[in-house]
Amino acid sequence: MTVESVSEIAGSGAGAEGPVLQISDLSVEIRSGDRLVRPVRELSLELARGETLGIVGETGSGKSMTGLAVLGMLPPGGKVTSGSIRYDGRELVGLDASHYRALRGRDIAMVFQDSLTALNPTRRIGDQVAEPLRIPRAGAPGMSRAEAAARVEEMLGLVGIPHPSERMNDFPHQLSGGMRQRVMIAIALICQPRLVIADEPTTALDVTIQAEILELLDGLRERLGMAMILVTHDMGVIARHADRVGVMYAGRLVESGPTRQLFADTRHRYTQALLASIPTLEQDRGRDLISIPGAPPDLAMAAVGCPFAPRCVAATDRCTDDYPPMTAAAPGHDFACWVPASGRLVVDELPLAPVAGVAIAAEPRLELRDLRQEYPVGGGAMLSRRRTVKAVSGVSFSVAAGETFGLVGESGCGKSSLGRMIVALDRPTAGEVVLEGESVTTMSTRALSSRRAQLQMMFQDSHAALDPRMRVGTILREPLAIQGVGSRAERTDRARSLLADVGLPAGVLERYPHELSGGQRQRIGLARALALDPTVLVADEPVSALDVSIRSQVLNLMRRTQRERGLTSVVISHDLAVVRYLADRVGVMYLGKLVEIGDTAEVYGSPAHPYTAGLLAAVPDPDPERPADADAGRVRGELPSPIDPPSGCRFRTRCPLASEECALVEPLPRPISDTHEVACHHPLQPVLSTATAGVQVTGEGEPR
Amino acid sequence: MTRYVLGRLVVSVIVLLGISAVVFFLLHIVSESPGRIVLGQRASPQAVAAFNSEHGFDRPVVVQYFSYLGQLLHGDLGRSYKLNESVAALLRQNAPRSAMLSLVGLVLALLIAVPLGIVQAVRRNSATDRVTTGIAYVLYATPGFLLGLLLISVFSQTWQIFPAEASQSHTMWAVFTDPRAMALPVLTLAVTSIAIFSQYQRSSALEQLGQDYIRLARAKGLPERLVLRRHLLRNACLPLITLVGLMIPSLLAGNLIVESLFNYPGLGLLFLNSLQREDYPVLLAYTLIGGVLTVLGNFAADLAVARADRRIELTK
Repeated sequence: MTVESVSEIAGSGAGAEGPVLQISDLSVEIRSGDRLVRPVRELSLELARGETLGIVGETGSGKSMTGLAVLGMLPPGGKVTSGSIRYDGRELVGLDASHYRALRGRDIAMVFQDSLTALNPTRRIGDQVAEPLRIPRAGAPGMSRAEAAARVEEMLGLVGIPHPSERMNDFPHQLSGGMRQRVMIAIALICQPRLVIADEPTTALDVTIQAEILELLDGLRERLGMAMILVTHDMGVIARHADRVGVMYAGRLVESGPTRQLFADTRHRYTQALLASIPTLEQDRGRDLISIPGAPPDLAMAAVGCPFAPRCVAATDRCTDDYPPMTAAAPGHDFACWVPASGRLVVDELPLAPVAGVAIAAEPRLELRDLRQEYPVGGGAMLSRRRTVKAVSGVSFSVAAGETFGLVGESGCGKSSLGRMIVALDRPTAGEVVLEGESVTTMSTRALSSRRAQLQMMFQDSHAALDPRMRVGTILREPLAIQGVGSRAERTDRARSLLADVGLPAGVLERYPHELSGGQRQRIGLARALALDPTVLVADEPVSALDVSIRSQVLNLMRRTQRERGLTSVVISHDLAVVRYLADRVGVMYLGKLVEIGDTAEVYGSPAHPYTAGLLAAVPDPDPERPADADAGRVRGELPSPIDPPSGCRFRTRCPLASEECALVEPLPRPISDTHEVACHHPLQPVLSTATAGVQVTGEGEPR
Repeated sequence: MTRYVLGRLVVSVIVLLGISAVVFFLLHIVSESPGRIVLGQRASPQAVAAFNSEHGFDRPVVVQYFSYLGQLLHGDLGRSYKLNESVAALLRQNAPRSAMLSLVGLVLALLIAVPLGIVQAVRRNSATDRVTTGIAYVLYATPGFLLGLLLISVFSQTWQIFPAEASQSHTMWAVFTDPRAMALPVLTLAVTSIAIFSQYQRSSALEQLGQDYIRLARAKGLPERLVLRRHLLRNACLPLITLVGLMIPSLLAGNLIVESLFNYPGLGLLFLNSLQREDYPVLLAYTLIGGVLTVLGNFAADLAVARADRRIELTK
């Protein structure tokens, strides 16, 4: 093929009115060794010009693989076995490598999830953004360095990076996560592609940043007239940012339609269950969450019938025998289900087990007294002022016996550091943790080691927190063995009963962690934490690594366990809905300080700190009908460095209400009610007394 | 950065002092009486004692050590017992030859091993990959002297392409102009390094190939050749830089075998001969050079890694 015909193909259909992308009957296979996985099965979808299609699904649903198939970038061993992918009317399946390359980056671009690993750590930002422009494509030479640099600068400005000409010389690690994601978007958009595939573009980011990035993508997409495939597991993101939705399950598109239509008139049982199982900010805390039993099927298996049938409450014999055909519910709204639902589940009418309330003792079981954690960074050696990261700067609160305390805040606010200090994994720089009237911090190592049984922790990443070379039985017996509890046989009995408590069969004892699913591993994490019958359980992001349908199972289990055992727990999460569901009281952390604390209902219902209000406003609501009060009190910008926190109120640099006082006087906690306190000079709720509003900032010179 | 370099230099000096002290005292234990070695077994005890007191060898060992250090500061490494030359002069003659041998061997090894490792990673588990890995392990396990002998027997005796003896010329220039004579020594030195480096490079490249930035480079429309050259190469070489730094002193040891095998008058051969002659000042100097190279090799590697990977901040 000659050079001219290549550019002709690339340019053809530019003015046509047909869809940008048309996928029909696409099936993908990945062979690795003897294992054959079919991650995408007979998938058909269309994307109109300038449209955003949200593809939603859980891990392994094939949503990312679909995106990679469009780009012709399937992993090694992967190939399209049938079907077609047409971009601008042109068939991409079977397209030879050099023509595909000419399209990639220029016509079809991709935004990856994790900007830390997706940017080359050893090359400058400017070069990386310029690269798609500078590549010679199908005979046409790339852009000159100077010309590209000018475009890059403009693009970086467009994606909201301040001082683009300076940032171009930075390396990726010098930027924050949000800024890196902007760079990724700049790379994708630099050639003004007509189709952008964004694979979980905001999953690694905090809610406050997530909202900004998604708005940026929306705005640019509109300005540049691109179509976008937004791959995500987050229904809230879909509801707010997609024109149409495709729901994928086990490699198949099970339902698709206009966003509002699909949310209002959900027809597939899986979509319905998925939507209902997401804990929301309005969740009824008195009852179990709706959960989908079981786990998604193994994609190595040949499937007969509907893949969701084993987990579906409405499944019939027909469901297990035949795969349902795509049926139209309304123009443009299709679903594949034999026993379709009619609309969303009305949660209130479901027979969900009520969760018992607890008698919360007045006596505090756990007390944190002015806890501080600082650690040195960099420099240090020889004649230099030691710089320290102030991870936690004076946090005090107490948790009563049987109470669950929730800690929320953005990543880097110090909530995990606090959690580690509570269970005495780290020693605080100052302050103390008091357990049942006894200071754990000043305790001797020997005394502490027996006390540890009472302080247990459940980790976020169960894959990393379970020793891969130990069987589950050994993992569960280990804490008992260390504390010298019972004989070997008794310990095994205990492990078995722990497994039963977390809803796993005894056969799991002989398995290794990698043989289990994410949800099962997290159950093991909980069982291990419970092995020693602790009085205090700290759960650090207990469900954030889990898929939506598994998440509610684990949350229900944790809630029930807390109640039954009368555990005193501290739940740490960036997910406000999770904390709201689990916690009786909640503390909001910002840059090492507690800015608001109170009863969960009060804090969520009438937040008093502008930061809390901003966090709540940034949570994407899985309901497209809800008006987007996007700018109302939204927290803008990024977390300042914990090495040099702002003077006075640490939040003032991002606060819409900040005044001069905020820089000069550090706000002290003041009561809103008996059970609600806020540390703010301009609280959103009236305070009871104005006794001491704050302490003057001390230190030399002007406040920064 | 400057502070880091200064800090490292201070630490290096301390390490080298330690090495010199340990070696000095060990050698003192082995040979308390240099006079006996210099004058021979037949010399009278009086003559030996006179020699020792003339050269200060009868002083307490600690005093001797400090006077040795004092001389070191003035660049005086002492005099050879047997060769009637200063140790510094001996090193001046021999070190450049060793350095050239090592350097050529090292560069050759890297030029072959880096692309080889990357090719293996790109074609992982292919026949090419497996065969290469197999050969690499065999070569890695082969002792240097055996390898050298095999090379001599094949290339020098059977086929008579290369001479079995390295260049004996005393000027560096002549060594340069006689590349055929250097072929076998360089090859012997390089082969083992190639085996190690390529396997290192392979696993590091494999790890990097799985990273998202490689996928992003492909999604940009970059041809595979450029993906490898612009994105993979530098990142995959980072661990190798450290390894090369650590290997620099062992190249010196490798020289020892190669130089004696091919009769190449470098530091290694000087060391071996001095060992047989019980020429302790030369041995001491050689050991110190080993220490200096170890310290410098590590230091240079750390600087190079920090230069290549800006995520690494040099702090102590």
